[in-house]
Parts: sequence; structure tokens; C-alpha cells
Amino acid sequence: MKNVKYRWNTFQLYDYQGVENHLSAMAAKGWRLEKAGSGLWKYRRAEPAKVRYAVTYSAGASQFDPGPTEEQQSLAELCAAAGWEKVSDCLQMQIFSTEDPAAVPLETDEALRLENIHRCMRRSFIPANVAILLLNLFLGRDFFWSLVTWDLYGMLNSNAMLISGVLFLAVELLQVYLLAGYFLWRRRSRRSVEDGGPCLPADRGCRWANTALWVLLVLMVAVFLLSELGRGHRGAVLYFMVYVTLLTLVNVLIRAFSALLRKRGASKSSNLGWTVAAAILLAFSLAYGLVWARYETGWFSDEVPAEDTYEYRGELWDLSPRQDFPLTLAELTGETYGHVRREAEVLGSVFIPRRNWRETALLGDGPKTCGLGYTVWDFSSPALQRSALDDLLEDDPVKFRGMTVFTRRYVPEDPAPWGAEAAYRRYYDDDPHDSWLLVWPGRVAAVGLDEVPTEEQKALISARLAPETWKEEAK
Amino acid sequence: MAREKFQTLTEPMFYILLTLREECCGTDIMARVSALTHGRVDLGPGTLYNLLDSFQQAEMIRETAVEGRKRSYLITDKGWETLRAEYRRLLALTDDYKTCVGEEDLL
Repeated sequence: MKNVKYRWNTFQLYDYQGVENHLSAMAAKGWRLEKAGSGLWKYRRAEPAKVRYAVTYSAGASQFDPGPTEEQQSLAELCAAAGWEKVSDCLQMQIFSTEDPAAVPLETDEALRLENIHRCMRRSFIPANVAILLLNLFLGRDFFWSLVTWDLYGMLNSNAMLISGVLFLAVELLQVYLLAGYFLWRRRSRRSVEDGGPCLPADRGCRWANTALWVLLVLMVAVFLLSELGRGHRGAVLYFMVYVTLLTLVNVLIRAFSALLRKRGASKSSNLGWTVAAAILLAFSLAYGLVWARYETGWFSDEVPAEDTYEYRGELWDLSPRQDFPLTLAELTGETYGHVRREAEVLGSVFIPRRNWRETALLGDGPKTCGLGYTVWDFSSPALQRSALDDLLEDDPVKFRGMTVFTRRYVPEDPAPWGAEAAYRRYYDDDPHDSWLLVWPGRVAAVGLDEVPTEEQKALISARLAPETWKEEAK
Repeated sequence: MAREKFQTLTEPMFYILLTLREECCGTDIMARVSALTHGRVDLGPGTLYNLLDSFQQAEMIRETAVEGRKRSYLITDKGWETLRAEYRRLLALTDDYKTCVGEEDLL
């Protein structure tokens, strides 16, 4: 039979009534609080008993203090004289208990209690909450901008963007909800106190909102990883797993380092300074190490294993080129190529799947090569397609040191030869480029060639890339 | 800010200042207030701790001795001034009551 159990702390700092009721209920079930950490709370088995718990606050207390401050010790002494024994503290929250039903309550002035809680909230919860809110707003700025401008394509064009965007939005809403929850509680409690009543119980929703966010985080990450695995992006999944593991390790190391400094008796300011320095150093090491590993090693690569390729004229070619391409260079040109390399990948999101195909072939015996590449987007709704076209057809200036070198843009042309609803040719300023954007209902394709296709080639491209419904209608 | 905060005193504030005419520590204050008011005013240790802190910041009391964790306090001139002002305010309230209702109603 285990004698110790841990529970995740879901209480807000100001929810003293929630904490008191919870701890009394746990004591009645035979579990006494032993240590209240900022994350986990530790309980030890004891005889079930009717225990009163009371929470008060010490605004000057900090998790970086080497031990109980003089103020905390004075408070504990006063409480002991009134029959209350210190149990633990969690940030500024000081938790006491007594089995004496007649002991004077710790707080006998509700206005003062409310003011003291607000002083603690102003020092810790509110600045931390606002910092998270602003940082999250900065990190998710692309998604939020897409949301504000209702750029559906911007929000939904990749699984990573969609999933991280939903999480950024959830974190933002949670922070606003928690802040609003506190200020609403404070306003209602102030009214109650002015009318001679006590502070009011905190909203239970705030207690569970953090947990709900963690559940959402785990679900979204699971969906993301499964979808990436389904697309064969094992390198990306491995990279993500390594990132999360190292991030957790960094977090544990920083906490352990701070705990060690506390144990060694380092002052609050010294502990804070060294912990922040260690956190910055570890965070930069993690970021730099991961970027290095990603670009300088093949650990997270999804590339075809070398044994499936051979080298000729300084380039790698496929031993057995994949046969699932909708359209190949040989079909388009009628030529036969002895050395071919084909790459395909599935990108986009569940709402806007995007598939890329790219083929390179050696012309004759080389050294010149030719290429064919196309990307196909599928849309489940006309609104999504309109939004994507707005994005894709927008002028795209290419800049160097802040100066626009040239502008990439699409210019409409006759879609009839392409067998499409609309067709656009890519231009670099006024110079035409051999790449086109073809539009059908529910599908858009970007095609890149080495030269201007003939009418027959255009028809073949359309026949291979247009959606089946369009082709049936054309018949 | 502090002056405005203590323009009027609550019962716990009044009795703490009244008790600190003589030097005493927090535990003594709780015991004396309870004895003085015959248990009518309960002074919770959390409330007392916060009020002592606020009074000290407002320079209405001062710390006179620290023996281990035991800290003793004494009222300052500013604290006296506040206490007297509160007493006068309470007298004014009492006088107004007498003027309007008369003393016989108290019996």
C-alpha cells in the first residue's frame, strides 16, 4: 500500500477557499499535504481526521528564497501561537492547519485579505500572465494575423501552422480567461466585503482551464505526429520528439540548479540571476544544437537511402524511379531518359492537402539536365480556394538588403489550351518565366517546365492534373 | 496613500494601535486584544501580521526589538495621531447619536 501520492496543482493563487476545502477533504480521506510545489503537491497517508486548513499570503515570499524568510518565520510564529501549524508554502501562498475547531481563523479582516491577495497577484501572477500573453502573441503572430484578416489559406495551409495556431489561440484565450477570471473574482469579492461579507469562492472553471489546455496540447501534438508519420516524415517526428525531450530536460535542469542554489544558501537575487543565466545558456545551446543537428547531420532527414541511388556525372540518380507520378518527363516530351531522379512529398494540411512532384533527367549522356515539377492543392470548399488564390496570385517582391530586386507575379492568359477554368503565367517583372498556375474548381496546380509547352503538352498536363469531376464535365 | 488608507480604522486596527501603547510582540497583541474586548474582537494571526507590516510601512508603529523570531513593536507619534483622530471620530459619532436619539434609548 503506497503511503505517498502526488497530485497536479490546479488551483489559482487567489483560490484560498478551494485549497482549504480540498486539503480538508483529503485529510478526511486520510491524506495530509506534505509539500506544495508549484506543479506537484505531495500527500502522505495518515489517519483520517477532521483537519482545518487555512491559507494566508506572504507577498515577499519567492521560490528563489534559500529558506523561509524572516517575514515567513514571524508569520509562522504568530500562527503557532494561535494554534496553527505551518504545513507548506507554494509561491506566496502559506498553508497552515489545525485540529482545534476553536482556533481563531488566520484571517479576520476580509478587506485586508483581499488587498493582500491582490498585492501578491500584482507581484507574481499578473506580470507572468501578461508576459505569457505577449510572448504567445509574438510567437503566433502569423496565425493571429491570418485570423484577424480572415486569411483562411494562411491559417490552414499546413498541419504545423494549423496545430500550432490552434495551440497559440488556446493559450491566448486561456491567459485572457484567467486574467478576466481573477479581476471578476476581485470585483465581486470587493462588493461582498464592502457589504460586510467574505471574499467569494473562485470560479471553478479557472481551476480546470490549465488542465484542459494540457489535454488539448497532448491531443494536438498526437494528431500532428500521427499525420506526419502517415506522410512518411519520420525525420520531422524524430526531430520533434528529440526537441520535446531536450526541452523537458532543460526545464528539469534549471529547476534542479535553482534548488541546488537554494540548498547552498544562495541569496534570492543571486539564485534568480544564476538561474536566469543558466536558463538562457541552456536555451541557446538547445536551439543552436538542434539547428546544427538538423542542417549539418542526416539524423532528421527523410531522404531516400543511398543504396537506392547511384552516382553518374557527379549527381545521384534513382536505381528504380518511382512509378506513381501523374505525369513524367518521358510522357511529356516523348523522349527516353537513361538517368532519372524523382521526388514526391505530401505537404499541406488536412483541410488543404498539397502534393509536390519533382523530376530531373539527364539529357542524353549529359551533362545537361531537364526538369519537370508540379504542385497540386486540393480544396474542400470554394472559400478556401478563393483565399488560396488571393495568396498565390499576390505580387511577390524578391528583396535583397531591403531593396526590391524584382517582383514575381502571375499574369492571366487564355485557359482554353490548358483545359482549365483559369490560367496564369509567372513573370519576373516583365520577363515571362516557364511556370504556370492552373485553376479548376476544387484544385489548383503550379507547373514548372524548362520551356514553353506545345498545345499538345498543355492538353496532356491538363488531362493528368485536372480533377476527375472537371474532366467528366468536359466530356 | 497610507494616510488615506488609515483615515478611518477598523476594529482590529484600532485595538492593535491601542495595545501598542506599551511595547509588545505579536503574540502578546493577540492575547491583549482578546482580553481587552472579552473575546469580542478576534484577531487572526494572518490579519495581525499584515496589519503590523502595513503600520510599519506607514510609520505608525516601529520595531523595537528582535529576539529570534519574536519581534516587538511600539506605537509612534504618527500612530498616536491616527489613534486619537479615530477616537475623536468615534466620539463625534456618539455625540451625534445622543443629539438625535437621546441617551435614554441606550438603556
